[in-house]
Amino acid sequence: MEQPIYYSKAEYIETDTGNKVSRRATIAGPQNIILGGKTVISSGAIIRGDLRRTNPGHAVVISLGRYCLVGENCVMRPPYKTYRGNFNYYPMKIGDHVHIGANTVVEAAIIGNHVEIGKNCVIGKFTTIKDCAKIADNTIVPPNTVIPALSLFAGSPGRFMEDLPESTQEIVEAHTKTYYTRFQPFDPRER
Amino acid sequence: MAPSVLYHCPCLSTSPIPPPPHLPSSSYNFHLLHTLFFCEECDAVRCNRCVSIEVSSYYCPNCLFEVPSASVRAEKNRCARNCFMCPNCRNTLSVVPSDPPDTGDMRLPIPASALNGPPFFLYCNHCRWDSAQVGITFEKPTGLAAQLQKHEDSAPDSLEFERLKEHFEPFLRASSLSASTSTGHPTAHISSAAHSHHLHANSITAAASAALARDIPGVGKYNPLARSTSARGGITKDKSINKDEMAEYRSRLDITKASAYGTGGGEIDVEFMKHIEDIGEVASLEQRWLNSWAGPLKTQELKPLRIPLRSKRSKRCPACTHILIKPEQKAQSVRYKIKLVAATYLPAITASLPHAQRHTAELAKKSLGKSTSAANDDEKNAASDMHAGKTYLFQLALSNPLYDPIQVRLSVQRMHVSTAAAKEGASSTEKARRPPFAVSLPTSTFSVAAYAEAWEYDDDDEMFGLDDDDDLLGRGGRDLEGRSGKAKTVGVLEKRANTTLVGGEVVIGKEARGNVKFNMLVSYTYRSDDPAPSESNDGEGISTKMAPKAPEIKTFAFYTVVDLGHIIPREESRVAESDL
Repeated sequence: MEQPIYYSKAEYIETDTGNKVSRRATIAGPQNIILGGKTVISSGAIIRGDLRRTNPGHAVVISLGRYCLVGENCVMRPPYKTYRGNFNYYPMKIGDHVHIGANTVVEAAIIGNHVEIGKNCVIGKFTTIKDCAKIADNTIVPPNTVIPALSLFAGSPGRFMEDLPESTQEIVEAHTKTYYTRFQPFDPRER
Repeated sequence: MAPSVLYHCPCLSTSPIPPPPHLPSSSYNFHLLHTLFFCEECDAVRCNRCVSIEVSSYYCPNCLFEVPSASVRAEKNRCARNCFMCPNCRNTLSVVPSDPPDTGDMRLPIPASALNGPPFFLYCNHCRWDSAQVGITFEKPTGLAAQLQKHEDSAPDSLEFERLKEHFEPFLRASSLSASTSTGHPTAHISSAAHSHHLHANSITAAASAALARDIPGVGKYNPLARSTSARGGITKDKSINKDEMAEYRSRLDITKASAYGTGGGEIDVEFMKHIEDIGEVASLEQRWLNSWAGPLKTQELKPLRIPLRSKRSKRCPACTHILIKPEQKAQSVRYKIKLVAATYLPAITASLPHAQRHTAELAKKSLGKSTSAANDDEKNAASDMHAGKTYLFQLALSNPLYDPIQVRLSVQRMHVSTAAAKEGASSTEKARRPPFAVSLPTSTFSVAAYAEAWEYDDDDEMFGLDDDDDLLGRGGRDLEGRSGKAKTVGVLEKRANTTLVGGEVVIGKEARGNVKFNMLVSYTYRSDDPAPSESNDGEGISTKMAPKAPEIKTFAFYTVVDLGHIIPREESRVAESDL
């Protein structure tokens, strides 16, 4: 039913689990990044997996769930703080079915499942976003904010606007799944 | 703008026919499908505007602590832990020690758990307000609300409020008693039913509405079900019920002298205003508005606010009081114990305009070579516009959420018929005017296949995508043919899984303007004797109740409003074409 969203076949790398990552995205420290599968990283996105904790051993810096979308020119950067005199980065965990709009900067600590973040947002350090929340376009979420489940935040600073409908989970899930199926390769040389 | 389909909720109105779509009031009656509920008992659609709501639990939106309802009132509906709002910008405040080690640095302040000692204060990460400005500091970084409690309780306005509460306590108790006795007998006569305006009336609202009705003559009891029922008759009867022979309230302080105690008002404010140099010195209306009582006038006196609690709510059908929504107890859970939403009962309808879709698809393909995609937005919009005096095709995709196939019949509500019905023929001009466009839809019934769980897990994306592509091309070809002979475009175009695609056609008049927006009646029949296991109880309830003779076939009808988009009037369209 839905129209396909075409992307240039040459630009994207598809992994075994169905992740589609643009070659124009900057992925720093890929060994510290986990993609859940069927996740799309759009062109121009910057994912800072290199900003890891300064302790020895392996560390997951950024993990994304299934059916996520990191929009064009997004910046995903793990949050940092100085705790007891030690400067450190902290991991960022993002659940399933999370869409992040274009040009958004994310420094959240935890983002739940079925979360929609609009375009041109700034999600401050150590923000916690609960399940099924929605951030409207152009929202500035200050550091340490907690966004409860099923609430719409908008404005600068981001404030609670309204409750989202009870069926938000189903809507977002359907939307992210169709988005992934619509996201199709298009090779101009073939046609 | 993309074409939209909204669903009608009659909201207990006596006539099931929605208002004509060109009236502005029509938008209040139509909702997105996923915001609607469905009452199985009444077999009717319910919306957020007509359901009755009960609070099932309270929680703080910042610390997510679930507050037991007993302490909600004692804590004045606000978080009593460590959560405060910035009085300037309403952002959440964080606790910081007074002496960060690296003050010269541009880094954010270190949280309370750092090495530094007292005093602590509250700091806003957004606007850099801090509580030391208003002289609020803390000995330890925990239990801040308790530490602030002293200040709060000794404030004159808080004491006054306590006194007011004490004064009205007996009255509230009396009215809640009478309300509860009348709720015990829902079939009692009109006056008691009016008193407890509906079965789940809250004692406080009942008291408030009784007081309003008493104080302002002519204002009826708040009665959502029948607002126009004899209000005056209700008042005379209520007089006997409400024994409000109360003593006159005497305030703690004489209000004319209150400004001397620092509550503001009177001479002191005038003096302050005289010497004001900057508009920022006065607290804005918004900064003072959200307080329970009068806040300080000066910006520099604004105090941190405890964060108001939020609630999870369960929803009931307004007619039969069956529960439609019952959330799980846990505050941050998004699951529901009971969730009867319309999307699981009514077919989902999405509208699309093939001519606009083709255009955007071509644009998308063209723009692949370029790096920017946002530049085409204007062109996209132009493509979805419709010009007056032309004929356009549109498509409606119906998806069946039921586990049984349904037979659907669509019919367009005639514009002039609806205005006549709504206004009792009073508007002859409306009647006489020709509708600006004519819509043709397939008149025969068509089937939409049953929903099967398996289709949801259609993970074979490659195949699915190719299918989609082919369909698109095929459809495009058909559409082109359709311009000459419309037999192929109006009717069922395609069936896939639980979705059926139906084509329609709209002929736009030469002088048309506004939006192509029409009411559409959707009626469908389905077998209800074989319900899904999960809803077997409810299914039996309906079939026995509704049709004892033929239990297996059921019909349900609902109205929708389809908005296909804006019509470009004649003159404008010429300009647009010459531009191109």
